[in-house]
Amino acid sequence: MAIGTLPTTAERARLPWRTRVREMLDRERVLGPLFITPALILIMLLVAYPFCVAVYFSVSNSFIGRPSHFIGLTNFIRLWDADAFRQTFQNAFVFTGISVAFKLVLGISLALLLNQQLWFKRMIRGAVLLPWVIPTALSTLGWWWMFNSLYSVVNWTGIAMGIMDPPGPNWLGQRYYAMAAVITVNIWRGLPFFAITILAGLVAIPKELYEAAQADGAGPGSRFWYVTLPMLKPVLAIVVLFSTIFTFSDFNIVYVLTHGGPINSTHLFATYSRMIGLESGRIGEGAAISLYLFPLLMFVVWAQLRFVRKQVF
Amino acid sequence: MTRLSRRQFVIGSTTGLAGILVTRTAPAVGQTREISYLCWNNFAPNSDKKLAEIGQRFTKDTGIKLKIDHISHMGPQQAKYASEVQTQAGHDLVEMRMHFPWLYEPQLVDVSDVVAGLEKQYGKAISSAYEGAYVKGVWRGVPQYHGMFVATYREDLFKKASLKVPDTWEDLYVVGKELKKMGNPVGIPISQNYDSISTAGPVLWSFGGMEVDKDGKTVRINSPATVQTIEWYQKMFRDCMEAEVLSWSDASNNESIQQGKAGWIHNPVSAYIVAKQRKLVTADGINHHRSLGGPHGRHETDTPRHIGIWKFSKNIDASKEWIRYLLGKREQYDEYIMAGDAFNLPAYEKLQDHPVLRSDPKYAALRGEGVQYHTYGWPAPPSDKVQLITNSWLLPNMIAKAVTGTPTKDAIAWAETEMKKIMAG
Amino acid sequence: MSRRTLRTKVLMHALLVPFLIFALFPFYHMLLTSLKQDRELYDRFAVPLIIKQGPTLEHYTKLLWETEFLTWTKNSLLVTILATGASVVIGTIAAYALSRLKFRGVNSFGTGIFVTYLVPTSLLFLPLAQVVNWIGLADSKWALVVTYPTFLVPFTTWLLMGYFRTVPKEVEECAMVDGATRIQALWRIVLPIAIPGLVCAVLFAFTLSWNEFIYALTFTSSSEQITASVGVTSELIRGDIYFWGELMAGAILGSVPIVILYVFFLDYYVSGLTAGAVK
Repeated sequence: MAIGTLPTTAERARLPWRTRVREMLDRERVLGPLFITPALILIMLLVAYPFCVAVYFSVSNSFIGRPSHFIGLTNFIRLWDADAFRQTFQNAFVFTGISVAFKLVLGISLALLLNQQLWFKRMIRGAVLLPWVIPTALSTLGWWWMFNSLYSVVNWTGIAMGIMDPPGPNWLGQRYYAMAAVITVNIWRGLPFFAITILAGLVAIPKELYEAAQADGAGPGSRFWYVTLPMLKPVLAIVVLFSTIFTFSDFNIVYVLTHGGPINSTHLFATYSRMIGLESGRIGEGAAISLYLFPLLMFVVWAQLRFVRKQVF
Repeated sequence: MTRLSRRQFVIGSTTGLAGILVTRTAPAVGQTREISYLCWNNFAPNSDKKLAEIGQRFTKDTGIKLKIDHISHMGPQQAKYASEVQTQAGHDLVEMRMHFPWLYEPQLVDVSDVVAGLEKQYGKAISSAYEGAYVKGVWRGVPQYHGMFVATYREDLFKKASLKVPDTWEDLYVVGKELKKMGNPVGIPISQNYDSISTAGPVLWSFGGMEVDKDGKTVRINSPATVQTIEWYQKMFRDCMEAEVLSWSDASNNESIQQGKAGWIHNPVSAYIVAKQRKLVTADGINHHRSLGGPHGRHETDTPRHIGIWKFSKNIDASKEWIRYLLGKREQYDEYIMAGDAFNLPAYEKLQDHPVLRSDPKYAALRGEGVQYHTYGWPAPPSDKVQLITNSWLLPNMIAKAVTGTPTKDAIAWAETEMKKIMAG
Repeated sequence: MSRRTLRTKVLMHALLVPFLIFALFPFYHMLLTSLKQDRELYDRFAVPLIIKQGPTLEHYTKLLWETEFLTWTKNSLLVTILATGASVVIGTIAAYALSRLKFRGVNSFGTGIFVTYLVPTSLLFLPLAQVVNWIGLADSKWALVVTYPTFLVPFTTWLLMGYFRTVPKEVEECAMVDGATRIQALWRIVLPIAIPGLVCAVLFAFTLSWNEFIYALTFTSSSEQITASVGVTSELIRGDIYFWGELMAGAILGSVPIVILYVFFLDYYVSGLTAGAVK
């Protein structure tokens, strides 16, 4: 059999099955679906199916160890009666809004700095990226100790520098301070992602644009506003959209730092859903709470597909 | 890859898979009986070591293999029990606390026979054990030990200022005023944690009040006793404590007295024991005294622990044997308790004056003469709704509102509404 | 270098200092705390920025010998290595199919993979807990091996798609004209060229898997089955006693594998991050 020429039908019938299989695998129409099948099965069984189960739970009165019954949208509506849930809802938006805003501004600033000709460039980049790489649950433990009511190094420093009165705020025990604390940790953890990604975007901006702007008499401020920012828009869009969904659905930081307290003032959908669904056994309500993440997820997906997909796919 | 090795690979992996599937379904026929026991990470790590030792002795003496697993308490424990119940598979024996025997009543074996045997030896089980594990006339868990709250104070500071050791909550107010002036205020948390409820409960009970009545249905928080409780807290907050107690965690009162700040706290022995272990400066000055009383008696919070057996266990008899082995032999039970260094005290009446209390003179107050010990939510039986009232921190939140400006009537009304909502389901 | 350029350079570096302190101080403090003696650690009036009374390794020894820390680390390693291996394999072939092959549904599947990556684990953990119970893997690290690929595969697929696109089609076509099958072309030609991408995918999968917390917290509970993150955050607190020295030691040791990878493969981390956004 000549290599590279397809056998005729008659010849094909006489071929051993191994060769026939090998041939089939050469066809895109067969190999393609075959190659995506494992991923597809994984997603169907462990993402799509659980998602449907979540929806089923949310419209039932599921409770640990007891049979469940369909109750329609009761869970979703009754949640609004609970002080804790309304607080969680507000927390999620406050937490995400403030965190992402800070990460964006600080991220752009840091990226601009990193874009300069620096000494120790590699070490600095490494240091900056470190918070993002270290497991969040473990690094949050460090922050927990830093905010501890009796031994807080933050308070100690503040008192030593004269900007705080002793004994300093009880960060994790008071409403707004606790929120400030979790936001701080989130910014600390997420800033590297913004900075490094935006840096890549900055590097990709052609130098000619800057030179042209300079020739036109634009100062550094105008160059930033009229050249850098517009060219960064796609990267910023991606980074902000990703960060929004991951910040909104964050679990690790709040769980380790405050467990949702004090008095639910730092609960997010993820932590509250876990408290109600797993620790109190009310699976139906827990699922309903976590499904409140869905509308935002849909929005982010839509926005990503609409504005970003063109570049990725 | 040659054809041969590919075939070998396929055959090998299928056999491997089959092997895994086969071994998952353990053979029901087994010569050696095997049981597994899930318990929590004890506060006293030595207690866990001693338990493992006793477990090995058990295997040697009876031939029954025993596997002891540990889990950290609270969150993971609840989730773990829930999943064992759901899948009807897991351990044979499980440690029970709080309202678990009530919550999982349909899944737990009736162990009244084991308890009857122990009661014959050691006297009746203590009242809080009855409250926790005696569900509708049947024992669903075997009481093993308990850890109660007790008044912990800086004896050296009291002596220096010639302060009288308080006997009632009212006495505490008198003494507390002086303590605050000295810079060592009273430290009772008013925040969302168990320590807060563990104090608010006894105060409320000693004024004759309650959250839910013993019928387990009627909300009784709106009563003159509650008003008295709130008024007591308000004056304590104003004259004897500092505002930081509103944001304390379970560990804060420990740390405060260990660090030399608080002069009086309400806590189990952990505060003193840790100070001793870490050789802190305050360790010598800390001591305990008997729980405080009020017009309606001397009540205190207790956390009894029991051992339960899941109904789905295939080795119920062997499991009961283990419980009888661990708790039934006096010397062994004593050994187990001694290893706990007063964190775990025996749960039977005749054993109340236990040698472990004599290992350190500062444990004397743990004898608790004349003190009635209760679980959270007393006098209502600990159903999951009553436990949800506890877990929603309604009592501390009500008090927090009242001490920070909300009129007493409104705070009580709020608590009543929330509790009624929970009881209505 | 002119004086003005030098001044600007120094200014740039000075502006970076706050960012660097912000990023690195928590690690410094954690390390310091883990080496402090209990006596100094729990002293309200001690200086938290330095060790005055001499360092000690007792927290590390207590952590390693008196807790199950080594078991937890073993679990983390097992879960991470298996999940990473499986995910990179599945992701590689899926990425190849999506970036190279034409077949029915390729576009919708591509979008589907992308969407799956965005579904947060905090939405799925509750029903997945029930699914894991139903298939008998409750409280077992195998539950993690099975569920981690759900977020690792979309990410690695997406990452590798970008890398595969940089391999010119002609190279493959040459090989196939010479008689190689598609699979042989993939194995012998495309993959070697895409090795940087594969390294990146492995690194990120490893990091994301080691970092994962909510599934680990939910699907495992016994001291023997939990991973390092879960173990350190839940078992070093007994009731109202916090073992801060051991907590910090555990946090440091639990991050060691990642730090090792990070130090050796820093550039891959950076390029992987940017590949996600810019490619």
